[in-house]
Amino acid sequence: MASTQHALLSPAELAYLHAALSLTPPIRPDGRSPAQFRPLVAETGILPGTNGSARICFADGTEAIVGVKAEVERTRGGYEGEIVEGGGAEEVVTDVNDEEKKGESDWVEMTVEIPGLRDDDATTAFLGAMISEALLADGGFSRRLWINRRFHWKLYLDILLISPPLSYPLPLLSLTTHLALLATRLPRLKSEGDEDPFFDDDWAAARYLYPRNKKDGKTTARPPVTLLVMAVGNNIIFDPAKEELAVADVALAVSIGEDATTAATATGDDASLMMDVDSTTAAAAITSARNLRLLSIRTIDPPSRLTPSGVPNATNTAYGAATTQKQPEARTAEAEAVEGVWRAPRGGAKPLVMAALVHKVLEKGGIADEVLDALHAVDLG
Amino acid sequence: MASLKRSIERDPLAANISSKVYVRSTKSGKVQKIVREVYLRQDIPCSSKLCRSCLTTAPKDAAGRTIPFVLSEDPAGTSAFPQGHYLVPDTNALLSAMDLFEQSSAFYDVVILQIVLEELRNRSLPLYNRLIGLTKSEDKRFYVFFNEFRLETHVARGDGESVNDRNDRAVRKAVAWYAEHLGRIKGKKAPAIVMLSNDRDNLRKARQEGLHACSLGGYVKQLKDGDRLLDMIPDTEDREIVKDKRPGDNLYPEYFTISKMMTGVKSGLLHQGIFGVSPYNYLEGSIRVPAFPKALLVLGRENINRAVDGDLVVIEVLPKDQWKEPSTQVIEEEAVTKNENPDTEASEDFISEKERKALQEDVKRTHSKTTEGHAQPTARVVGVAKRNWRQYVGHIDQSSISQSGQQGRKQDSVFVIPMDKKIPKIRLRTRQVAELLGKRILVTIDSWDRSSRHPSGHFVRSLGELETKAAETEALLLEYDVQYRPFPKTVLDCLPKEGHDWKVPASLEDPGWKDREDLRGLLICSIDPIGCQDIDDALHCKPLPNGNLEVGVHIADVSHFVKPGNAMDTEASIRGTTVYLVDKRIDMLPMLLGTDLCSLKPYVERYAFSVLWEMTPDANIVNSRFTKSVIKSREAFSYEQAQLRVDDVSQQDELTLSIRSLLALSRKLKQKRMDAGALSLSSPEVKVQMESETSDPIDVKTKEHLDTMSLVEEFMLLANTSVAAKIYDAFPQTAILRRHAAPPKTNFDELSNQLRVKRGLELSVESSRALADSLDACVDPKEPFFNTLIRVMATRCMMSAEYFCSGTQAYPEFRHYGLASEIYTHFTSPIRRYADLVAHRQLAAAIEYEAVHPSVRSRGRLEAVCKNINVRHRNAQLAGRASIAYYVGQALRGKATEEDGFVMKVFSNGFVVLVPRFGIESLIRLRDLAEQEPQATYDAETYTLTAEGSREIKVELFQKVRVKVTDQKDETTGKRGVKMELVKTL
Repeated sequence: MASTQHALLSPAELAYLHAALSLTPPIRPDGRSPAQFRPLVAETGILPGTNGSARICFADGTEAIVGVKAEVERTRGGYEGEIVEGGGAEEVVTDVNDEEKKGESDWVEMTVEIPGLRDDDATTAFLGAMISEALLADGGFSRRLWINRRFHWKLYLDILLISPPLSYPLPLLSLTTHLALLATRLPRLKSEGDEDPFFDDDWAAARYLYPRNKKDGKTTARPPVTLLVMAVGNNIIFDPAKEELAVADVALAVSIGEDATTAATATGDDASLMMDVDSTTAAAAITSARNLRLLSIRTIDPPSRLTPSGVPNATNTAYGAATTQKQPEARTAEAEAVEGVWRAPRGGAKPLVMAALVHKVLEKGGIADEVLDALHAVDLG
Repeated sequence: MASLKRSIERDPLAANISSKVYVRSTKSGKVQKIVREVYLRQDIPCSSKLCRSCLTTAPKDAAGRTIPFVLSEDPAGTSAFPQGHYLVPDTNALLSAMDLFEQSSAFYDVVILQIVLEELRNRSLPLYNRLIGLTKSEDKRFYVFFNEFRLETHVARGDGESVNDRNDRAVRKAVAWYAEHLGRIKGKKAPAIVMLSNDRDNLRKARQEGLHACSLGGYVKQLKDGDRLLDMIPDTEDREIVKDKRPGDNLYPEYFTISKMMTGVKSGLLHQGIFGVSPYNYLEGSIRVPAFPKALLVLGRENINRAVDGDLVVIEVLPKDQWKEPSTQVIEEEAVTKNENPDTEASEDFISEKERKALQEDVKRTHSKTTEGHAQPTARVVGVAKRNWRQYVGHIDQSSISQSGQQGRKQDSVFVIPMDKKIPKIRLRTRQVAELLGKRILVTIDSWDRSSRHPSGHFVRSLGELETKAAETEALLLEYDVQYRPFPKTVLDCLPKEGHDWKVPASLEDPGWKDREDLRGLLICSIDPIGCQDIDDALHCKPLPNGNLEVGVHIADVSHFVKPGNAMDTEASIRGTTVYLVDKRIDMLPMLLGTDLCSLKPYVERYAFSVLWEMTPDANIVNSRFTKSVIKSREAFSYEQAQLRVDDVSQQDELTLSIRSLLALSRKLKQKRMDAGALSLSSPEVKVQMESETSDPIDVKTKEHLDTMSLVEEFMLLANTSVAAKIYDAFPQTAILRRHAAPPKTNFDELSNQLRVKRGLELSVESSRALADSLDACVDPKEPFFNTLIRVMATRCMMSAEYFCSGTQAYPEFRHYGLASEIYTHFTSPIRRYADLVAHRQLAAAIEYEAVHPSVRSRGRLEAVCKNINVRHRNAQLAGRASIAYYVGQALRGKATEEDGFVMKVFSNGFVVLVPRFGIESLIRLRDLAEQEPQATYDAETYTLTAEGSREIKVELFQKVRVKVTDQKDETTGKRGVKMELVKTL
């Protein structure tokens, strides 16, 4: 899956970029260190009519807004006849334990809009899929939308990129969605048990989707973020710009989540419960002080993997060059690396590099920590 | 990056914009966050006549006028505020003591804050409507100040502040602003701005902020007649004490939460309906819910669970082993709970011994029952969806007064026994026991706590001594919610300026003549009861050259005078109907119209709405047409006069001849109607004869039936049916019609069973025709009244007829069961019924006389109108009957007569006797039969009560008995009623 169109760079430029990024330490075109994010400005609550909203501007001029709207919906297959105790006499509806609060992935509907792209464009669909996949990976998110056995909230996320897609917008959109969800509030439920839900009309009493700590007003659990990481040679580079992506050997979208309980406070029960939940997802849990969890990894086809312009058809595999055995000398000629000439990387990512990538994301004080800390600082008022 | 949010620092206009955020839940279950921007302004006036600055800035309308200022420049003072004061009540003050604000002796110059008004509307719609009425009244000087929209008084909600705290703060801020604003006026000493609140915290904060603030009680004490007014304040302190009680003291089960009830009702597990109490047994209620064909029983105090007659309640059906039969016992609250003490009631058992005993009887009976199918489903009240509490007329129960209360002005708890037996005793705290004793008083119910056996209420006003005509009449009007206040000025302003001098314009060019037919040449006359002033209808009959007859029904053209949507129309739509009491008539329309300009008086020209038919001599309609017209009635007959004239063979003038042919036609019409299955129903009707000068009742007579009465009736029915068809044709969705639903078969179960058991007669109820025939067959050759008795009882099994809007029902449902007519409406009495007025407007539009007014075309409005007039119509009937009952009692005062009566209903400890001569029915209890209550056995299978011991007697259903009728003042209800004693069975 192509992440963006070709950057309009000449093979020489590409080769230079590749070389610069392969150095130790790598030299990035914009002077950032390998793990440095582009500076960003963020705010929440910009759309008063929504349940939660956020806006983030990256310094390169890309900007996104996300609005979250919630609607009460009847749970399909939620039983109808059994509400006897709900309408009946003294029997109090027993508390539903956490395991029973199951969410469905269709409780979240996400639309992504990228200017200049059709909404059924492959890029748009892929972006939406990646963000919602991260959200829904462990079922923890949709569980928050559970009202009772008969009703749930349906969440509509509208993700809008409002600037031209100057770089691959995945990190921007993911971070904005993350903030919007943090700011999302749902009316306070007043009814009990499996009754038809009935809500407090006071908006100030509305509950946050991600409850906050009373003391510092910060949340403990947080929605996932998806980070874009790439590798050139053995160098791992975060938040690549468009030009950097054009020479990536491998690019990964890594989604990480943070759990409600930090390792320091987690009791045994909680931890085991968490493990239960985790075992249902494919990802493995790595506990750290932050209790970060890897939710999903996707490889992104960087533009570097596409055949650059100016390659003769004879050597273009897309035109069947690879299958033709007629010109073996052409193949060997091509196989030779020539200094200063760009050649698209061949072959898959090296497992060691992949492992290092993931480790780098999740390590204590690593990039994920850094990003989440930065987002912590945003006023969610 | 600039923030997208509105920032207060940078935007110079930001201070003028605020927003309000709340959650709205829609009926369909949607939950929405709503954000409203609030634009703050500075030109909302304070509306004090003292203020000059507001006068210059107050907004003007298109004509350049400002709304006149309301608050007086010289407001009344109190002992604490001699300089005069304006009141600013908070929501709770209005919620708990609206009656105070309606007093004419105090509570003038009141500022109602918008926030308070809105909060009140959310809490109680009736109170809100009363407050709106007050703000409209010119002399009370209530001003609604839009504090939320004025920049200086707008209050933004703080972090973590509750809505109530914020609203309280808004009230205090408005009070402070008013004080500051009026304080700036030079020269005069500004009136004090006094906040009224019962919230201690709010009062304390206000005082801290240096505002004038009073509790209701504290304020009322400063007034001259403070002691009297003090009774109208519900004792909140008391309530707080009650709340402190241990939870174990709660006597009643808790109500379900609203959402639980809603879910239950939606899923069909709970049911919602209007709670009604049996007139014979205050511990038995019934609820008709759409899910079941028969009403559900609610037995016992605990199951009734604080529901009061008329409340919209939610019930739960009880398991089958708790199903019971309706009680055959008469249980009266006064008798059972006579000696309760209103002060120390909580210490008593919840269900008193006596009540328990009464219930035991029931249990015994159900157990001894051989036929199990008799038990009826029972239910219990689990919540109240909507209280329908109103003001109740009653009097203080003498026996509930404690000795210490007789003297001194200490606040005392007493019981008030409402006039309506279905309403429970109301506990009242008052300082004026001595004054109120022996008076008819008006009280309201404030609350009914779980821990309290009886509801508690407060005193509103005294109507006067028991048994004085003024007090009793007013009591009656209040009880049946009849609007009896004089017409306000706005209504009278709608009358024609010429007043009684108004005439039909002489010139045919006049716009009043447009599209009107000149029917002045016809020999029209009216036939009405003696002394009738509001003559709605007149008739004529003219032979046509082809041998057919032209028959005309001419109805007063009220819609010409009452234009839709004006104040008079609104008032009439609220009143709905004219109410006839024995000595009084409460008009729907002002006198000038009702008895003069609209009334089809003889010898003068009047506007009319005519229905004209061409009929064959066999009373078949050849064609019919409708037209607005001008008529001149030749004579206004009374029924008796007309009858004499018809019977007098020597009278051969044209007018008499036309009445005779009308009479002949009416007989044929009636026959046709009967053949179609119309029912002839009956209710005992009597007439009270009054002394002409003092209008004291002297005698009671049953109404005579004359042929001329059915003459008028037949043609009115015909006119109504013709008009109904016409307006339905023109407005299939919005025609105002009247229907009489076929009664459910189960309604007749009991009566037909009684007839089968006692007389071997069968009542067939498949159709109105079958019922009519079987009723005809119900005769006892020895007893001519028996048939009438059965008809009276059958009438009570019927549904009541109702007005409806044609779009709300399917055509087959339009049927009028009693009249056996497919479609029916009311058209012929527009002076006294609002429905007729609407029908007139629709008919006028249908014949293209005038354009359709939106109000007669809007289905929603018509449905609301129908709902209201159905209630008013019913209340008017009840008030009329109650008035007759009262006067019958008065007419019998001091006399004792022996009369024949019939047993209508048998209980296990008494029976009900109907005396046709007076049209009254009364209960004779077993214990009234002899000094010592005789032992009795009741056989429910044969409806026989056999008494033994002190008096041996056997009473059966339908039996003819001889009773002694005397009057008696019921010591507990304070009502003078009829008392019957059984002389012998016949």
